[in-house]
Amino acid sequence: MRILLVEDDSLVSDAITRGLVGTGYVVDPVPDAESVAARLADTHYDLAIVDLGLPGEDGLSLVRKLRRSGSSLPLLIVTARDGLDDRINALDLGADDYLVKPFALPELAARCRALIRRATAAAANEIVIGGLRIDLSGRRALNAAGEVLELTRREWSILECLAHHSGRVVSKERLTQAITGWSEDISGNAIEVHVSRLRSKLGGSATVRGIRGLGYRLEDG
Amino acid sequence: MAERRGPTSIHGRLLSYLLAPVALLLVAGVAVDHHVIVNPIHNAFDHSLSRAALAIVARIHPGPDGQPQVGLPEHPSPPLRAMAGEHFFYRVSLPDGTTLAGTPELPLAPDDQSADGFNFVNINFRGEAFRLASYRTSETGDPLVVTVAETPLRRDRAVHRLDVAFLINDTVQMTAVLLIALVGIRIAVRPLQRLSRQIIGRPPEALTPLSTEQVPTEVLPVVESLNTLLDRVRDSVLSQQHFLANAAHQLRTPLTGLKAQLEVLGRDTAGTPLQERIALLHGGVDRLAHTANQLLTLARAEPSAHRDSHFTPLDLQHLVGEVIDSSLDRALAHGIDLGADSRPVQVNGVYWLLHELLNNLIDNAIRHTPAGGNITIRCGAEDGHAFLEVDDSGSGIPPSERERVRERFYRGGGNANDGCGLGLAIVDEVARVHRAQLSIHDGSTGRGARMRIDFSDPA
Repeated sequence: MRILLVEDDSLVSDAITRGLVGTGYVVDPVPDAESVAARLADTHYDLAIVDLGLPGEDGLSLVRKLRRSGSSLPLLIVTARDGLDDRINALDLGADDYLVKPFALPELAARCRALIRRATAAAANEIVIGGLRIDLSGRRALNAAGEVLELTRREWSILECLAHHSGRVVSKERLTQAITGWSEDISGNAIEVHVSRLRSKLGGSATVRGIRGLGYRLEDG
Repeated sequence: MAERRGPTSIHGRLLSYLLAPVALLLVAGVAVDHHVIVNPIHNAFDHSLSRAALAIVARIHPGPDGQPQVGLPEHPSPPLRAMAGEHFFYRVSLPDGTTLAGTPELPLAPDDQSADGFNFVNINFRGEAFRLASYRTSETGDPLVVTVAETPLRRDRAVHRLDVAFLINDTVQMTAVLLIALVGIRIAVRPLQRLSRQIIGRPPEALTPLSTEQVPTEVLPVVESLNTLLDRVRDSVLSQQHFLANAAHQLRTPLTGLKAQLEVLGRDTAGTPLQERIALLHGGVDRLAHTANQLLTLARAEPSAHRDSHFTPLDLQHLVGEVIDSSLDRALAHGIDLGADSRPVQVNGVYWLLHELLNNLIDNAIRHTPAGGNITIRCGAEDGHAFLEVDDSGSGIPPSERERVRERFYRGGGNANDGCGLGLAIVDEVARVHRAQLSIHDGSTGRGARMRIDFSDPA
């Protein structure tokens, strides 16, 4: 996996590069937006990390330009600005995620992983969480041993909904909406029953964590 | 039109300034009218009295003895007879005072040598006020004095009636003037009301100049100085925001670099004696980064720092879900069960500020709750007002410290946690911006603390 890092501050750039290389990525740092086009022309990248406060052409304008040129390269914005405006602006212009400085390296690595996974999933129609592989087009899930899990349609819908938002809390209401295509009258308790069955079928390949009063979260192993 | 009374009302002030002079004018006008009319009336009545005297003179004939004789009938017709309720007296006398006819006790008006021979005087006679006229004449031969007196009831009544008429007339005129003035004032202050509507109708954060169109010249200086003030506020807000943005960038970028470098260094030196010292350094940089963040948040939470205060309707339940989502990993890492008990409720607020508020409350709760404890976020409506609550099973805050913990940089006694003491100050500030109140209670399970935000706007 190759990451393009657009960051002008050498202290930050050097640390991110070292940190991400340590977790198994190839990182190419460039100090300004102007050098991006040349890099993209001859190399395939899986992700770009873009600092908003660049000298010369700023990060927002780079994001806009990339999206206008039709690039679908996943973009992670890092910035020292924390206003909601900037965030909405960046996401509206086509950035995929947003991280406010100062952040911890593991957090950055997790965001990179999630973005790359999302892009890969969109391409392969497949989501991988821990040992669990979810084949979206085949509507089936395989555990770490490669066995197809026997899921009811409701359990599959719940797993699909959780997998699309993996690592994030999905509310019970949302899960209910996801399965009411088949049955109009589903109570919160029914969701609990389905989730508990799903949980036992997943075994150790992935965990569905219940969050009191909110909903569920699908987590790695 | 809403009428505003009181010392600051232009209507009221103009009215009170007008009312006293108009009332004085009314009194003065009636007095002048009275003086102007009273003499002609008195003259007319005096004239009629003098005709009575002349009528008596006409009936004086020289008697056979050469003495003049007054031939008055038993019941003479007016003007020689009193009207009902009035009294009329006459006396014909010689210059030496000898009475020839009439009432001998009737006094004479002093002779002031007037050209027509008539002299008038007001007297008191038999306990009543009288108007008395003495006519000194020689037209019957010998000099005679004919004196007539009548009670002045009719002339008094006439003067009184005219006075009342003047009073009514003047009052009507003055009232009309006042009403016209009031209507005029209303019309004249309309531009002021338009101006105040223009100011009231603006969003509180709008710092654009007010329009000077259709503003009367008298009010123009007010609008212009308001615009100067708005200009200055806008400049200072902009420069403060500019400063904060720069400060944020200049602080956060090197901190990010330091933090990341130390993380990499910590990984590279794993297992060596250096690792422990790097971990210490890392902890220090983390604290520094946290403090810088909190200071920037506090500065941006201050009401004066609101560039585009995004007061939008938002659902607290949704906010609770979002903040829990982002805090869950931290809580799980501390072995704390973080959960919610929330109902949908709308408040008008700045999303990122309320996000910071709740984030700080949860952060605090995580710091003060031991592993195995739990934190519950509640929101909903109570008595028509929205509330937000963070309830933990941690160490709690003794009542004696509940006020002081809101102070900036205050850190509870024996608190070894790495907070910078700005969390609750931020919560307090954000609550104030949202016209909400932070209160601190015992946890609902009997242990820990329950931090509650009560919004004053109806939910």
